[in-house]
Amino acid sequence: MTVKPIKKLVKYNKAETRTAWLCLLPSVIGLVCITYLPMIASFALSLFNWDGLGEMQYKGLHNYVKLFTSDTKFYSSLWVTLKYSFMSVTLSIVYSMMIALLLNRKIPARSFFRAIFYLPYVLPAMAVYLGWKWLYDFNHGFLNYIVRLLGFAPVKFLDSSTLVTPSLAFIAVWLSGNLIVIFLAGLQNVPRTYHEAAEIDGANAWQRFWKITIPCMTPIIFYNLLMSLVSNLQVITPALSLTKGGPGTGSYYMCFMLYQQAFKSHKYGYGSAVAVVLFILIAIFTAILFATSKGWIFYEGDDKE
Amino acid sequence: MIFAFNNSSRLASRRKREKAANFLSMAVLVVLGAIVMFPIYWIFRSSLMSNGELYAYPPAFTPPNWRFSNYRDTLEVFEYWKFLGNTMTILVPSVIGAVITATMGGYAFARLRFRGKKILFMLCVGSMLLPSMVTLIPLFVVWAKIGLVNTYWPLILPHFCGGGAFNIFLIRQFVKTVPRELDEAATIDGCGYFRILVYIIMPAIKSAMIVVGLLKFIELWNDLLQQVTYITRRDQYTLALGLNIFKGSFNDDWSSIMCATCLSFIPGIVFYLIGQKYFVEGIVMTGMKN
Repeated sequence: MTVKPIKKLVKYNKAETRTAWLCLLPSVIGLVCITYLPMIASFALSLFNWDGLGEMQYKGLHNYVKLFTSDTKFYSSLWVTLKYSFMSVTLSIVYSMMIALLLNRKIPARSFFRAIFYLPYVLPAMAVYLGWKWLYDFNHGFLNYIVRLLGFAPVKFLDSSTLVTPSLAFIAVWLSGNLIVIFLAGLQNVPRTYHEAAEIDGANAWQRFWKITIPCMTPIIFYNLLMSLVSNLQVITPALSLTKGGPGTGSYYMCFMLYQQAFKSHKYGYGSAVAVVLFILIAIFTAILFATSKGWIFYEGDDKE
Repeated sequence: MIFAFNNSSRLASRRKREKAANFLSMAVLVVLGAIVMFPIYWIFRSSLMSNGELYAYPPAFTPPNWRFSNYRDTLEVFEYWKFLGNTMTILVPSVIGAVITATMGGYAFARLRFRGKKILFMLCVGSMLLPSMVTLIPLFVVWAKIGLVNTYWPLILPHFCGGGAFNIFLIRQFVKTVPRELDEAATIDGCGYFRILVYIIMPAIKSAMIVVGLLKFIELWNDLLQQVTYITRRDQYTLALGLNIFKGSFNDDWSSIMCATCLSFIPGIVFYLIGQKYFVEGIVMTGMKN
């Protein structure tokens, strides 16, 4: 005999609904007016040619055709953005996971160390990049002092198209204190009993790390990976503050291209087309991450297989 | 007996190993911590030296003469207080707006039942993944149309609209930890939903509100792009923009540039020291909830 599920009849309290919408009013306005509508507007704007003052000219997909067929700078931009993101995301994740593992041990002055590794994150970006410009300076920078001590010729860290990406990614790693704190919070939630049980069964530290710590941390790793990928693909600050897109197209990131096209060359339509491509790029990466996540994310209490 | 003995010796060796491992981690942390702190030290050290001393080879690891007067000289040409004042004029209202509206939003999502909540919440969380860069041009166009470019409004007003999905989400997680019995007791005493928020929820999630404020502060403090986009008049420059111009006009005067850099570090460090305890607490709360 089958019992029909009783349709849930939720009566919404009027006063409750009214308060809820009142409380959410600012957020709804924000979501509509500064997130979703402008996003749609970007798509629309990318179909036009517009200098911000004169008539808007409808051009269909012309801007995209131009991007993909005749603008060589666009491909460089795509490439350096991907290169930078890949480098800074992987290195920051590995670095911050490692620091978090070390900080998770029973060591004295733990909060002091945590503060040290977090500190770069709270410094203002412009000042950070200026400081690093000095450290990277060709003639008098500290890093070139080390390079010379090791017996090599000084290096153009920011003025060589091969080195600019690793140099800027290195700063990004240095700034990744927020990832450390999130990893640390995750580590503290890994049940101790799992480790104890595995130890009784004779698992060594290495095995426990790969079979317990890492699986329990996969949701956090996923979160950090996703969030830093989304934010790194939108990299612009180092180009704005330091390298101005150069040398050559060495740091001509997509967001920087968008910014230049829209606000320096006053090609709002073309800039919007870059924005839309960036949007699609990020959507693809997000989709890939989500699609593969089922295979490698372990949720507690989730009986897989 | 034998069993017990075995066990305790195993325990002792395990303790020993753990101690060694802890010592090793400590050593690695000390080294890495020194490396992470070194750039900041180097910048500070450079700010206390003359350009002649900076250009010497090999470089001095501590300033030969501690020239604190560098700061006085730099403050004469670098309009630090004005830039800091401008920055705060943007930051303070933005942070307050974000905290208040995020708290209201988070409360509604955590506690109140209403039609459309699920969809709205999904739209809200989903917007975290949307690249904010994509909204830059249309928003600028609209602000320009209203004629508010070159004012602080485009930098402040958006933060009165929920303060960002992440912050709403963070507040929601915190509100969920407040026992519902408190709300119910207040309802029996005749409190409406709004008064519950103000008198029950807000005192209980004070630390979360501080975290939101601090995170917002850092976010805006670092947000060079918005400032570059909307502010072009020199008298409205923020610290970041001022620093950028300063670098341009004092090209090779690294001593002064490093002074200005250190001066810009200070507010960030002060705010961090004040809020350190809350930071960790706040992130522990959100990091978990996939």
